[in-house]
Amino acid sequence: MNLEIVTYILYLGISIAVTVWVAHTLHKNGRIFLVDVFHGNEPLADSVNHLLVVGFYLINLGFVSLALKLGYDIATPKEGIEALSVKVGTVMLVLGAMHFFNLLIFSRLRHRATLRNAPPPVAPDGFTPVEEV
Amino acid sequence: MLSLTLLYDPDCGLCRRVQGWLADQPKLVELRMIPVKTDAARRRYPQLNHDLTVEDLTAISDRGEVYFGPKAWLMVLWTLTKYRDWSYRLAAPELLPTTRRVVSLVSQHRYQISRAVRFAR
Repeated sequence: MNLEIVTYILYLGISIAVTVWVAHTLHKNGRIFLVDVFHGNEPLADSVNHLLVVGFYLINLGFVSLALKLGYDIATPKEGIEALSVKVGTVMLVLGAMHFFNLLIFSRLRHRATLRNAPPPVAPDGFTPVEEV
Repeated sequence: MLSLTLLYDPDCGLCRRVQGWLADQPKLVELRMIPVKTDAARRRYPQLNHDLTVEDLTAISDRGEVYFGPKAWLMVLWTLTKYRDWSYRLAAPELLPTTRRVVSLVSQHRYQISRAVRFAR
């Protein structure tokens, strides 16, 4: 097995492992946010959570496979490690950006849901009886 | 709160414009409009001082809570899906005095403003 193939295999192994780990974290810790957003409707929260994770996997694995090609030859193990480092670093930054984007979606949803049930901004000046006509 | 009723001045072009805009906005709380000092307003709120409602915008909740002037404007913002955020921002202690001043200024000069921007009286 030559150096390029080893680098590719290591790249795929590390990238996929990190993707799975981030997706798992998102799935596990995002659930409580979604349950809150959907007012305790757990089946709906679980469904949305699952759909979000599927999208997350597709985007990240798609990026991982697009970024696989190295474009130059590797002669020494040193060059192999450097190439691997650049590739894995890029994948991690993209994963990080995706992760924060997901958190932003969660907090937006939650903010909107809390705003919906928020009390009036000011206290009334007085009270008057209302005659329903 | 299920609904908020506005007692607005039908003689003011600006108010009618605002009313039209409000009708098109998505809402979190139902917004009803009744012209000031009409029979409908008097029947619904028999104990309210209706002479005062001409002075500035009045908003009354379905439970009878009365909001007058700047507070009524903030309550209107609060009913709107897109602007509820702003009702809290403008009601914050740092901004409330400015909000009061601007709203009072607009309310007192509503006829002049309507004329100036040619929203027929």
